[in-house]
Amino acid sequence: MAKKIVIDPITRIEGHLKIETEINNNVVTSAKASADMFRGIESALTGYDARVAQQVTQRVCGVCPYAHAEAAAKALEDAMGIRPNRNGQLLRNLIMGAYQLQDHILHFYQLCALDFIDVAAVLKYGGKDKDLNYVKDWITTEQKSTKIYPLAPFFPRYKADYCRDQEVNISAIKHYCESLPMMSDLHKMVAIFGGKSPHTVTIEAGGVTTTPTVLSIAKYRTYLHQAEDFIKNKYTPDIVAVAKIFKNYFKEGKGYGSLLSYSQYPDSNGDNSLFTGGTTIKGKHLKLDLDKIYEDHTYAYYKNDSKMQARPLTREQPVPLDWQEFEKHHKDSKGKYSWSKAPRYNGYAMEVGPVARLVNTYLNKSNVLVNRMVDKFNRELGITIKDYASVMGRHLSRAIIANVLIEKLKNDIENVEADVNAFVEHDIPKNARGVGLIEASRGALGHWIRTDKDGYISRYDMIVPTTWNISPRNSKRNPGPVEKMLIGTRVKDAKNPIELARIVRSTDPCIACSVH
Amino acid sequence: MNQITRREALKRIYLATVAAGTAGFLSFDDVLAAADNKINQPTVVWLQGTSCSGCSCSFLNIEDVPVIELITEFMDLVYHPDLSLATGNDVLNIINNLIRSSRKYIFVFEGAVPVKLPHACLMGGIPIMEWVIRLASKAAVCIAAGTCASFGGVAKMKGTITGNMNLSEFLEYKHVDVPVVNLPNCPLKPEHITYTLLYYIKNRKLPELDQFKRPLYQYSKTVHERCIYYRDFQEDNFAEFIGDEGCFFKLGCQGPVTHNDCMKIGHNKNTNICIRAGHPCIGCADSEFPRKIMFHSFNDKRSLVR
Repeated sequence: MAKKIVIDPITRIEGHLKIETEINNNVVTSAKASADMFRGIESALTGYDARVAQQVTQRVCGVCPYAHAEAAAKALEDAMGIRPNRNGQLLRNLIMGAYQLQDHILHFYQLCALDFIDVAAVLKYGGKDKDLNYVKDWITTEQKSTKIYPLAPFFPRYKADYCRDQEVNISAIKHYCESLPMMSDLHKMVAIFGGKSPHTVTIEAGGVTTTPTVLSIAKYRTYLHQAEDFIKNKYTPDIVAVAKIFKNYFKEGKGYGSLLSYSQYPDSNGDNSLFTGGTTIKGKHLKLDLDKIYEDHTYAYYKNDSKMQARPLTREQPVPLDWQEFEKHHKDSKGKYSWSKAPRYNGYAMEVGPVARLVNTYLNKSNVLVNRMVDKFNRELGITIKDYASVMGRHLSRAIIANVLIEKLKNDIENVEADVNAFVEHDIPKNARGVGLIEASRGALGHWIRTDKDGYISRYDMIVPTTWNISPRNSKRNPGPVEKMLIGTRVKDAKNPIELARIVRSTDPCIACSVH
Repeated sequence: MNQITRREALKRIYLATVAAGTAGFLSFDDVLAAADNKINQPTVVWLQGTSCSGCSCSFLNIEDVPVIELITEFMDLVYHPDLSLATGNDVLNIINNLIRSSRKYIFVFEGAVPVKLPHACLMGGIPIMEWVIRLASKAAVCIAAGTCASFGGVAKMKGTITGNMNLSEFLEYKHVDVPVVNLPNCPLKPEHITYTLLYYIKNRKLPELDQFKRPLYQYSKTVHERCIYYRDFQEDNFAEFIGDEGCFFKLGCQGPVTHNDCMKIGHNKNTNICIRAGHPCIGCADSEFPRKIMFHSFNDKRSLVR
């Protein structure tokens, strides 16, 4: 018998997301992902100075703002026909790298780990660790309290097959606590060259406005060493331990397996990126053709018009539905159901994110360290590169990326030149257009800009990682990547659909980003 | 054994509050009492409207009190969208039960409220404006976390069509009478919310506010008045390009119109300040944020006025 499972809101992601599935004999037969928030930032940017895009588009997402700053700066640099100087590029890498490490740690510990790890295991803890005894004490006291929700925000939770390995549970809970000051320190690393974090100010077309000093370089290096210890000795082993216990999750949430990524972390000249972009469709790795990217709004909450599919900058933003139209569609099971548009690549719904970044780089064989590390983990876990597009593969990809990234940052910080400008000013280009492509923590991010005769923005387009991943159906009714990942999943207990939550969270959705 | 650990931990919290300059509100005995539940921990519920989660991420950077201790010892955080294990229906039940209970609570709101297009922000299939009315009506106080909740910010920037309102504007429009404190900064500064929460725990009321409902303690002066380049300003020594020493006024700096304490407590635990990082203030805590031009080339003749 067909049943419906609705999860609304999905917590521990960015923003407002609803997941609706139909299950038949406990197996998901259809799925809908609804992005439930809209601000209309792209069209609002019209008339603002071209440099404002950097500051405003960061506010599209408070979890990975650095990526929008970089994409906006790169789009404007493309329009100017320039690249940052050596120091500028290195500082950009250092700002983005630290931020991405913070983002991946947040995603694992705060957003996902407690879907696998049993936080109640701490009650059986008998050791002397201060943090753990603190949590144990707190749980014991809370259990006796008369509050309406004792143990909030850690309970209530789904009844599920949480990890039973005491050692793994304890390690992850300990590191959950430690990750909070660690993330705060990583944000300090961003602020050293970025001014503040979240929402760094210093990334501008032409470089970074901060001039590095011997002291700021030393400070960054000190924090980087701490971060290295956390990533290598805590974060990575925790993910590997969870991956070994939940090995079946290398077979869950696989989706289409079509992958798209841009390149990221170039050398100081802006070439030879650490991660190389491209596409992988049906196991075949190919170069990216930007002209094949378009957005479709058939199932998105915008009025139907004469151009339902459009490449960036080729049309005005479509008009949102009013309340009456929205209600009509909302009640119709065949109607529009999301604020997110549906980007497609040559018709394919593409998964973007850490798996795409890693697999494309691996298949391109452009980075020896990446391939060596992937092979090492494959041997240890008994998996192959085909297993990466999966729930556990996504977590593992982030860990591998973090490890590779640490080496890159260690190298880049040593090449920064103290007391040398990292910013060169250029005039705002008039009647120009540009594109900025980078890898955000969550995947491929593109900004497209057009300026008018006075250097103000005349059109702005963003295609954001979660727009790809969480996209609704397109005109041919093909499900979006996350929807596809859910279809075919066996849900043991419809009242506690932890399997679905694990799949959705593995893609690290950011709804504020996806709709903007 | 555990008693000692606990006492030690609390002592650590207390010393941290001394360092944060909030010790005037809490004695060590208060902290001990809070731990024994003699002081009622305030119940806190956190909701996001048209936000970007930046304020929540920034909240996690609190160091004056370790976050984990803040959310366990000092308050009873019944719901936070990025921290709660509860998901789906459990969340709606938590919020509905809280509203139904006789308990007074602190309602923290991040982001703005779309009024013209109510469907531009939904939770549980219901417009967020409905949730805000329900939660704010029964709250003891509301905290507008960040610039969007305080002034509208990016959510309400010129050119948007969703009809976003900031929290106090919206509550007034809906005739909901409840004290609101605005903590503008994009994103929320963790020190601002720590201060407000600790002040409330001790005094059961909000700190003294200015006409824009901002705590005087942080917002009485402009960035400019305390700027490291204030002397340069007085001596007509202006930077003409990024990298120059001197006042950034001619580069479009919003410091003169932005009330905030950045120059007293810099970002990320005083790691840096935008102006010290070589960039003019973009006025992220100001009611006019974002302005049409934020960073002005020296020879750019276009008007700075919005």
